[in-house]
Amino acid sequence: MNHELKLYRERARAWLAEHAPRYSGQARHGLPFEDDLALARAWQAHKVQHGYGCITLPREFGGAGGSELEKVIFCEEEMRYDLPLVYFSISLNNPLPIFLRYAPDAWKQKLGPATVRGELIWCQLFSEPSAGSDLASLRLKAVPTEGGWLLSGQKVWTSWAQIADWGVVVARTDPSLPKHAGLTYFFLDMKSPGITVQPIHRLGEEKDLNEVFFDEVFVPDEQRLGEINGGFKVAVETLMIERYAVTDESGYGPTLENFVDLAGNARLNGRPALEDGEVRARIAEVFVERQGLRAIHRRALEAFARGQAPGPEGAIRKLLLGRTRQSLGAMAMDMLGANGAQLAPHGHAVTDFARAWLDPSLRIAGGTDELLLNTLAERVLGLPQDHRPDKGIPFNAAPK
Amino acid sequence: MQADHAEDLASIREQARRLLQDQATPEHLKSLLNEPGSFDRVLWHHAVEQGWPSVAIPESAGGLGLGWSGLAVICEELGRLTGSLPLIGNTLAAHALIHAGSDEHQALIDSLTSGDAIATLALADPSESGLCGSSSAQVRNGRINGEKALAAFAAVADIALVQAGNERGNGLYLVRLDQPGVQRRLVEGFDNSRATALLQFIQAEVTPLGGAELLGEIGNLAALATAFEQIGGTQACLDMACDYARERRAFGQPIGGFQGIKHKLAEIYCLLEIARGCASDALDAWEQQQPTRRQLTSSARIAAIRAYNLAAQENLHVHGGMGVTWEAMPHHFYRRSRSLALELGSLAYWRERLLADLGLESATALVG
Ligand SMILES: Cc1cc2nc3c(=O)[nH]c(=O)nc-3n(C[C@H](O)[C@H](O)[C@H](O)COP(=O)(O)OP(=O)(O)OC[C@H]3O[C@@H](n4cnc5c(N)ncnc54)[C@H](O)[C@@H]3O)c2cc1C
Repeated sequence: MNHELKLYRERARAWLAEHAPRYSGQARHGLPFEDDLALARAWQAHKVQHGYGCITLPREFGGAGGSELEKVIFCEEEMRYDLPLVYFSISLNNPLPIFLRYAPDAWKQKLGPATVRGELIWCQLFSEPSAGSDLASLRLKAVPTEGGWLLSGQKVWTSWAQIADWGVVVARTDPSLPKHAGLTYFFLDMKSPGITVQPIHRLGEEKDLNEVFFDEVFVPDEQRLGEINGGFKVAVETLMIERYAVTDESGYGPTLENFVDLAGNARLNGRPALEDGEVRARIAEVFVERQGLRAIHRRALEAFARGQAPGPEGAIRKLLLGRTRQSLGAMAMDMLGANGAQLAPHGHAVTDFARAWLDPSLRIAGGTDELLLNTLAERVLGLPQDHRPDKGIPFNAAPK
Repeated sequence: MQADHAEDLASIREQARRLLQDQATPEHLKSLLNEPGSFDRVLWHHAVEQGWPSVAIPESAGGLGLGWSGLAVICEELGRLTGSLPLIGNTLAAHALIHAGSDEHQALIDSLTSGDAIATLALADPSESGLCGSSSAQVRNGRINGEKALAAFAAVADIALVQAGNERGNGLYLVRLDQPGVQRRLVEGFDNSRATALLQFIQAEVTPLGGAELLGEIGNLAALATAFEQIGGTQACLDMACDYARERRAFGQPIGGFQGIKHKLAEIYCLLEIARGCASDALDAWEQQQPTRRQLTSSARIAAIRAYNLAAQENLHVHGGMGVTWEAMPHHFYRRSRSLALELGSLAYWRERLLADLGLESATALVG
């Protein structure tokens, strides 16, 4: 990695060491939701002021006009702190950049900078009860009306819809066309009349998910992003923007070192669990996987540095980390025996195996294991696409 | 790796690929599988002409000076076509001799790098799945007695690098195999093209080359180079399986359209990329003599065994009935994946080695 980027990393590290403590760890303990959210907005604004917020977005909207690689580097360093970043996990990553790419200029000026500063939060209204992996089969309908469209139907799994000011949404504008061809993409005010947001209780403690109901919600036509019936292309582009998912190398779960510590202390039939062959094999496997992923990650960063998009490395990483986080969590609990069923008070998925195990969403959100395997098989290995009986058939005539 | 080497390495790779494609034809490879102790003399002759045994040897000792990366590139290409050549043994024997004092050994070093002599690595013991013990082969007063486990190229080698016990523990010895105290025994195996043989020593003369440190280095470098051979084999299995999956049809579509097949192949791809990542990091660590080189080598060895095992096994399966025929190629890789996984210590041994390197002592040490 070149000298300039090394310097960038060092500067970012020093800056974080100075500024992050006031917004992370102890500073957040026991804060009510609203206060933590306020802290999150303050941190975002503070970063923007110092050129670390929305690193890849244009300066004109408050971004830092930097490179993809700088963003990855900063994120890696930022992740070392327990900062309130989740509320922006969707907002700044997908909806904002696609909005800035497609929206009319006046709208960009109006919403762009405020979103960058964290004053406005966006959500991404793609998934529906019968359209998750198969996104193009969504049904939320948009009917033309005077000056715009009326949206009716339902979205689900919408992260942070309850705090969102704006959203990007894909709707079906022509059900007589094949499923990919009849969709249109909009951005909309989440406070519009006719929108109802209802929380979804997750199996863990996370408070991110919602279902969103649309009852004849009016969206002006100037809030359309892309062509009428050309929305699927924009949706795919939205998902491609986050080209390389930055996670830590434990998939936001406890580290291998934590696991080894536990294995050294836990006992199995009166002997250290660390002596057990299965435990030892698992430690070696995870070590080797981590080592290989480090090399793959480095290769992706080098691709960024050369201005290229990284290959399928991101998919390998998400696939393996998601599974390992879940299986290592379960094995850690096994080693603890009956007491493994506790949730440590004030614990966090990054330090507590039970909590990490209890949130398997890394294997679902942003593409399930099966979809990632399909991506690798089709795009890298050149294998044929799955059989799709609804291909080319008008949406309203296709098998449901 | 220096930039000027990158070009040399690319051209060596190109050259190796072309030569192997011409020479390692399926018919030719099959003819080798039939006879225990088979050795591909024709391929060796061509490899020697191209200077492969001297690729990694420093120029000062008469080699091409491309380092371990040079050896890795050729091993990977060799692995792709299940070619079988004593490049690792020859290179490491020359390396050990240079280490032990090149002045005395220059003639032997020259014949190893020119391919006139062949070396075998006889590190493993019978009834021991790792590389640590030398319960059987023991050196006293400059003579060795005992046995070594099946070693690749021992059937045709002129010299052996042998791990044997001595008064102080274990050491690495040079044994000339043309002396009366050496017996080699060919046995029928599933991969006869490795030219393997059992070695038995009765009062054979030895030359000591080094102690535990050199032993460790030789074992590590052999494992690392083998990892590249395994990676080449894995890649070949994956390519072959994908090609077949795109062509072969069942139930009205290419079998590659079935997720049972597709996902299997994507899983192999992940293991392959992990192995590649581990091996290239380990290679850098050796080139730069980094302290992490041992643990990175263990990782590379483990990852390569896992990847090749699965790739070879599932490639055969993807080929269905074709996969179990003598005519089709998958069984060559199936055989080779296993022989490479058994030589130089098994997966379980390397797992314990890695954990020991990480400070998690061996299981037996913990019990004791
Ligand atoms: C924490 C979290 C946050 C999320 N945030 C958002 C958000 O902000 N906005 C948003 O729009 N969505 C969001 N999602 C939704 C997410 O994108 C979907 O859950 C995901 O795409 C899977 O879709 P699904 O839940 O409908 O599962 P399904 O698609 O119904 O999948 C069910 C099972 O079938 C398998 N399957 C499906 N298709 C195939 C296939 N072709 N081959 C093999 N197997 C298949 C899947 O792998 C899975 O195992 C979020 C989800 C989670 C868990």
